[in-house]
Amino acid sequence: MGPEGSSITSSSGSSSSCSAAARAPDHHHHHQIDQLLAGAGYSVRSSQLHQVAHRLECLENVMVHNQNIPTHLPLQYHLANDVVHYNPSDLSSWVDNLLSELHQLQPGSSASSSGLPPCAGNYESTGWSPSEFHAPPPPRNGNGNESENQQPQEVLSHVLHLMDQEDSSIQLVHVLISCAESVQCGNLPLAGSLIADLQALLTRVNTACGIGKVAGYFIDALSRRIFTAVPPGAASFMSCWASEDEILYHHFYEAAPYLKFAHFTANQAILEAFQGHDCVHVVDFNLMQGLQWPALIQALALRPGGPPLLRLTGIGPPSPDGRDSLCVIGLRLAGLARSVNVKFAFRGVAASRLEDVKPWMLEAAPNEAVAVNSILQLHKLLGPDQVHGSSSVEQVLAWIRGLNPKIVTIVEQEASHNQAEFLDRFTEALYYYSTMFDSLEACSNRADNVLAEIYMQKEICNIVCCEDSARVERHEPLAKWKARLKGAGFKPLYLGSNAFKQASMLLTLFSAEGYCIEESEGCLTLGWHSRPLIAASAWQPASD
Amino acid sequence: MQFTETLQSPPLHQISPFVVPSMNKNQIHRTRPWPGFPTSKSSLGGSFGDANCMEQLLVHCANAIESNDATLTQQILWVLNNIAPPDGDSNQRLTCGFLRALIARAANSGNCKLLSAMANVNTNMGIDTHKFSIIELASFVDLTPWHRFGFTAANTAILEAVEGYSVIHIVDLSLTHCMQIPTLIDAIATRLEGHPLVKLTVACITDGIPPMIDLSYEELGSKLINFARSRNVVLEFRVIPSTSADGFSSLFEQLRMQQIVRADNGEALVINCHMMLHYIPEETLSVVSSSTTLSSHQLESSQNASLRTMFLKRLRSLEPTVLVLVDEDADLTSNNLVSRLRSAFNYLWIPYDTVDTFLPRGSKQRQWYEADICWKIENVIAHEGLQRIERLEPKNRWVQRMRSSSFKGVSFSEDAFSEVKSMLDEHAAGWGLKREEEDLVLTWKGHNVVFATAWVPT
Repeated sequence: MGPEGSSITSSSGSSSSCSAAARAPDHHHHHQIDQLLAGAGYSVRSSQLHQVAHRLECLENVMVHNQNIPTHLPLQYHLANDVVHYNPSDLSSWVDNLLSELHQLQPGSSASSSGLPPCAGNYESTGWSPSEFHAPPPPRNGNGNESENQQPQEVLSHVLHLMDQEDSSIQLVHVLISCAESVQCGNLPLAGSLIADLQALLTRVNTACGIGKVAGYFIDALSRRIFTAVPPGAASFMSCWASEDEILYHHFYEAAPYLKFAHFTANQAILEAFQGHDCVHVVDFNLMQGLQWPALIQALALRPGGPPLLRLTGIGPPSPDGRDSLCVIGLRLAGLARSVNVKFAFRGVAASRLEDVKPWMLEAAPNEAVAVNSILQLHKLLGPDQVHGSSSVEQVLAWIRGLNPKIVTIVEQEASHNQAEFLDRFTEALYYYSTMFDSLEACSNRADNVLAEIYMQKEICNIVCCEDSARVERHEPLAKWKARLKGAGFKPLYLGSNAFKQASMLLTLFSAEGYCIEESEGCLTLGWHSRPLIAASAWQPASD
Repeated sequence: MQFTETLQSPPLHQISPFVVPSMNKNQIHRTRPWPGFPTSKSSLGGSFGDANCMEQLLVHCANAIESNDATLTQQILWVLNNIAPPDGDSNQRLTCGFLRALIARAANSGNCKLLSAMANVNTNMGIDTHKFSIIELASFVDLTPWHRFGFTAANTAILEAVEGYSVIHIVDLSLTHCMQIPTLIDAIATRLEGHPLVKLTVACITDGIPPMIDLSYEELGSKLINFARSRNVVLEFRVIPSTSADGFSSLFEQLRMQQIVRADNGEALVINCHMMLHYIPEETLSVVSSSTTLSSHQLESSQNASLRTMFLKRLRSLEPTVLVLVDEDADLTSNNLVSRLRSAFNYLWIPYDTVDTFLPRGSKQRQWYEADICWKIENVIAHEGLQRIERLEPKNRWVQRMRSSSFKGVSFSEDAFSEVKSMLDEHAAGWGLKREEEDLVLTWKGHNVVFATAWVPT
């Protein structure tokens, strides 16, 4: 169940059938849906879903509409006292078992006679007759646990509600995929009507958590794509002020451990790479609020042998209101550095796109050790633009290589959201962000969570709604980055045991249970329940 | 300059409607002030400046933990992990001990979870305190004046007090498992006239406080009896299981019963308290004694409700011939974590500083020594309530307690002073000795370390 085992292999050239009817998806999508269902906790194959749905309908008929069943008592008995007898995640057999039990309880069957075990004594000895099914509930007993004290109709409605929810959740995923499929085929009318179905389904699930919540965001994104007049390539949806971006980033930073993991791990590698160097220069591809740097400055200040001269070049988008926000951050960091006796110089490079940055802007000096730090930025270079025949990412990697850096720290989302086919991206993103939202729910800070979700919502919208150069969230898995970096003349710099120990210690102390850190070939990944979500690696120039 | 000083929050109207409108100003820029250091302190430079910086970082970390600021705590812990390796210089090792204690505290507090995986990740976490054999412990204790000072000073006071008695009953309440007794028996054998019978009563503490020994008290007792015999001293040995948590009640009960049959002539009662009494809970623990024998008079004064003072008063009721009180001179009783941390940091640098003078790096003994200090640090920092038993009080407060329990102080003679002095000469130059009124204080580089006081009933 390691990261390799659970990753979805990218499909190149899968043929998806585009029909107006809700035909069963082909094998590849079966696999993806099975993954989604497994992720939601169900061991049922998507090929069985039709059958299960049919059986559920039967069950509904039998339980709710058929008043000829004399005893809901034994059913309650089974449900209350043998709650774990059947495993509802194995939907097929669970439904079948319930159905067969209820069929046994038809009038005239032997089950209604004295062969049945007596109830757990919660009810008056007069027992029940079918007509009492709709009677007001008798007085409860005082003690006993919840399940034994529930009245039969309460249990029933609870079970039906659960089954309804589970049923609806599975349908939700199913219809989402179908909708994405129709979008890919260009069948917008069908897609539109499926959106309506999805809205209806949403009312039947719990949208405060789990699949309901994530589905809501994806439905929203699909709606934008389908119903907005502006072609997806032109504008980027949910465009915000840079200051708003900073706020969302900050709350995402606080709410979940992903960015913190990225910072600790990169800082550990940079700190170790800078050992023995008196002049060091950090190039930060996205300064944001400079949250990564106080800890590094402090650690450099107290390192054995004394602090080096530290230069920080922070790259970020230009401020819309004429304020030089990069400099504001730089000044703050300078103040901190001064207070801990670290000689410090800051330079801000304002660029709206990373590909607009040219190496001469960084003013790297020949005698200094350079660290290039890219947290969730490189994937933005994977768009279709080409200059002089080479892609943006190749160009940027080339000039990084040209700086001859001591270390390049790269952190990227561990996901495959840059596949050629829209449906593949969509399905992959649904799986990825479900896991992300799950992990967020486990963290207790409500205030940060809301805005952290919006941060992720923006990523989802970009993946689902945008195309061409507007689509910047082109996440690719570590394996692809490794290949790309090797091809650009880099070799891996193994993240040492210190990085692993620090990350493990800090995350196990302060994050909910369920997060896990794995190390593989010198790279660290942070994941949720064995699904890796973010990967950190370090690189150095390969000798020519 | 603080990190947030120049921070301007953006005007709300700039925020597009996509953002949840319930955000308020506080939510927008809850940016974290990174602890800034006043430049004057850092300009000190050198290792002293570093110790100050480390103390500051530890203080900020403690504050962050207390205010449940997980992000800041993580950042500071990350820095501390990098600048305070467990095998660095004495400041770094001291800081490392505190760092581990803070991590343990964070793990114990409700908002943070410690997974069992952590035990594998950071193998330093579990403090293995060594179980000493008697020989090991004896030579261990001899390495440094930390305990020898108290032994020597106490023995002189005891010998002066018990001159002429035919029976000497010594009650040894000591952290060091009777390590003082051989020298005391020696002194009794050589310096006292006659052959007094020596009765030794020892409280067997089961609280798991280091240093720990690998043999039972019965075995220990028979070794002591044999030793005494070799010095022509008849020694009777008795063990009473007791615990500091209830103020050694069981010990006191036994002694009280003995009081009744105490010889009218010639039995001296010596109570020797060596670094044990600070484990008895005191007022800041707000443990109200549930004993119904407390009279209303006693309940009036909260001072008297303290087990610590109650224990001293009980000792007073035994009419001891002399009571010696030796303990570490520091204040670790504060209920405020940060001030407790500062006090502990500004005291426990001493053992780390001294260890370089008597134990080589990497030696097993040094590991044991520092592990015991780490145990203390963890108890002070990571625990609260009844579990936090390292409640050191400074000398002045003990003196107050003794006086209010109807004891009066006895000065140490000039001979005693020079005896202690020549003992100190066997050790490194940094150790010193001074008189404070009637008391003797051991110092390291001028800082108070351990005090020794002697008392008789008024």
